[in-house]
Amino acid sequence: MPVAAWPALAAVAIGAGLAAALLLVHHKAAVLAVLAVGAALLVVAQRTRAGERAAASAAAHPRLVPVAVAACGLGLVMLLREDNFALLMLCTVALQTLAALGLHLQFGYAGVANFAGAAFLGVGAYTAAVLGGHLPSVLVLVTGAGLAALAGLLLALPLLRTRGHYAALITIAFGLLLRTFLEVNDTLGGPQGLKVPGFTLGGLAFNDAIVFDEDTEWSFYVPYAVLALALLGATHVLVRRLERSWIGLALDAVRVDETAAAAFGVNGGAWKIAAFCVGNALCGLAGALLAMVTGFVAPPSFAFGDSLVLVSIVILGGIGNPLGLLPAAFLVVVLPEKLQGLQEYRFLLFAVLVILVLRLRPGGLLPRRLRRWPGLP
Amino acid sequence: MPPVGAKDTVRIAFIGPLTGGVAANGLGGRNSADLAVRLRNADPKAKYTYELMVLDDECKPNVGVQVATRAASDNSVIAGVTHYCSTVAMATVDVYKRFGLPVVVWGAVLPDITYANDYKEIHRVNGTMINQNETAAQFVTGLKFRSWAVIHDTTDYGKGHNKYFSEALTRAGGKILGTFGVTADQQDFSAELTRIKDLKPEVIYFGGTTPLGVRIRSQMDKLGVKAVFQGTSGIISDAYIEGLGTLAEGTLAFREGAPVEKLPGGKAFLEAYAKQKYPEDPEAYGPFAFAATNLVMDAIERSGPDRRKVRAELNRTRNVDSVVGRITFDDHRQNSVPLITRFVVQDGRWVVWEDSDYATGKRALAKR
Repeated sequence: MPVAAWPALAAVAIGAGLAAALLLVHHKAAVLAVLAVGAALLVVAQRTRAGERAAASAAAHPRLVPVAVAACGLGLVMLLREDNFALLMLCTVALQTLAALGLHLQFGYAGVANFAGAAFLGVGAYTAAVLGGHLPSVLVLVTGAGLAALAGLLLALPLLRTRGHYAALITIAFGLLLRTFLEVNDTLGGPQGLKVPGFTLGGLAFNDAIVFDEDTEWSFYVPYAVLALALLGATHVLVRRLERSWIGLALDAVRVDETAAAAFGVNGGAWKIAAFCVGNALCGLAGALLAMVTGFVAPPSFAFGDSLVLVSIVILGGIGNPLGLLPAAFLVVVLPEKLQGLQEYRFLLFAVLVILVLRLRPGGLLPRRLRRWPGLP
Repeated sequence: MPPVGAKDTVRIAFIGPLTGGVAANGLGGRNSADLAVRLRNADPKAKYTYELMVLDDECKPNVGVQVATRAASDNSVIAGVTHYCSTVAMATVDVYKRFGLPVVVWGAVLPDITYANDYKEIHRVNGTMINQNETAAQFVTGLKFRSWAVIHDTTDYGKGHNKYFSEALTRAGGKILGTFGVTADQQDFSAELTRIKDLKPEVIYFGGTTPLGVRIRSQMDKLGVKAVFQGTSGIISDAYIEGLGTLAEGTLAFREGAPVEKLPGGKAFLEAYAKQKYPEDPEAYGPFAFAATNLVMDAIERSGPDRRKVRAELNRTRNVDSVVGRITFDDHRQNSVPLITRFVVQDGRWVVWEDSDYATGKRALAKR
């Protein structure tokens, strides 16, 4: 019996609607109302098995769903085309999700905890600051990703010789090291930081507003948002494909039991390092574009706390499920901004909300499902 | 004539660090800006009702750009009173320029914020660290001290102070025996202080903020390092004295502007502040936030709620009396503050040097 496409499309539409609502409302009460609606929908989806139907329908229409998501993303950008602040938030969410996808690859699949996500973001960002204006922007993004992967390789050996908490400690140490290095290094701007030139593509400078006529002017964040969402979409599809392939299977095996995996001829060390490097490259890519969007980099943006934000996106989203990262990033990035009205108490409420989510949904917002092989009963 | 009680509401933004390590200063600034708005709204002669949009920049440049974009792209916001942290102010000047929002910086001290660009939107009421260290070097060498050890944190604040103080001190004839950079969250200073103990400087100059200053001063005592402790504007806070108790006695520090209580309106500011029962103190830069907010509101009163006109009005600021002294903007819209006040801790209070027992000779700073 063919599975209908509408449950998946409805889920995508609801998600986009919630995102738009959260970006557009400003009032405290309205923000909390949107959150309440989101939470209620999540509970309903769980209780009525609507969530499973949507997932089954998405699995049955693997080509339709990405198109729908892309359409919703573009629709969102068009809806917000004149709202600079909302678009900046959208860019930040997309790029933080991109970085979190990198961490997800490392932690969710290969089981390598990385508490230095912000440091790799920083490597990408500083690459954009130093090389921007000298190289074509696309090359700058690629170089940022490459250098982040390279910096991660420094940790390959110590990471292979340690396990669990100790490996996590090594990444923490690396994060602190990089931050201190940036602070004392005057050629990289020292503690004051550096300006970052904007993205240009074939003569189109992304930092200029798009003016149609006297009354119609789109925010300069529109092209950034489209680019960020496109990068995120492409990477998401790639990660999904990876998960379904034998590579994903090998990574899962290494995470669950490295010894058993080795007995089946899977080289645990090689896979861990590969996942670590690719993940860091994604962080570097996100960092390079984020720096161009922000226009400025300085060491305080890449502190340990910012690495924890990335880790909390992965955990909040549901470890191992790339789909959960987007709502989690929305919560972690947009919510503190939307709670600005509470001034110094906003992080208190934010922390309470995060604890509530983890208390009520210990597996995260959208936990990972068991692998289901097409063709098997 | 509009009927009484039907004034238009004008929004101005206040941006500062409300959470994180320097939140005390951000909250003091926020309260002071809030006080200025409350006083103005209570004034029947004011043409508009003012509303303060308060945003937290967390002392992080990326967050600063976010909130600056939020304020600047909101057309109902006419002007801003912005930033305590220099990196954040550096990151956001382009945002204000792009969206044409006139702002007055109330606490960030890095010279480049006003001098590295020529943006008509950016003004600053507080002085830069150049002025502060010039005075500090001349004053302390005048007290017949000759040798220094410098400890500074590796933020832009600490590094900048180290640079400008070292330059000024060398010109004034002082000698620096050693310079030590420390990270802003360092806990233990035994290594640096043991080294300094061997160097035997007469004065330890510290460029950094209160939490670090408290740690270094108390560890100096534990290790038996006897030297005068000389700080910067970053340690002029009540938290510094609370953190150290009697150990704070004799600490020197410098700040731009005249002491608040000595200026016309200064006493009234402190009394009004106390009356509002804010849970936090105004801290060193509260008066600057108060003065900046008033400057912005005065400009709006004169020119109406229009960003371009307010910008022109602010650009023209000359000889305006305020709680931090007379404000005159130079060609880079930097307040050319003529006055640096010297402070010393005496009996658990920051006292203006001229009023202290140290100046009269009743007490002496610890010499070796």
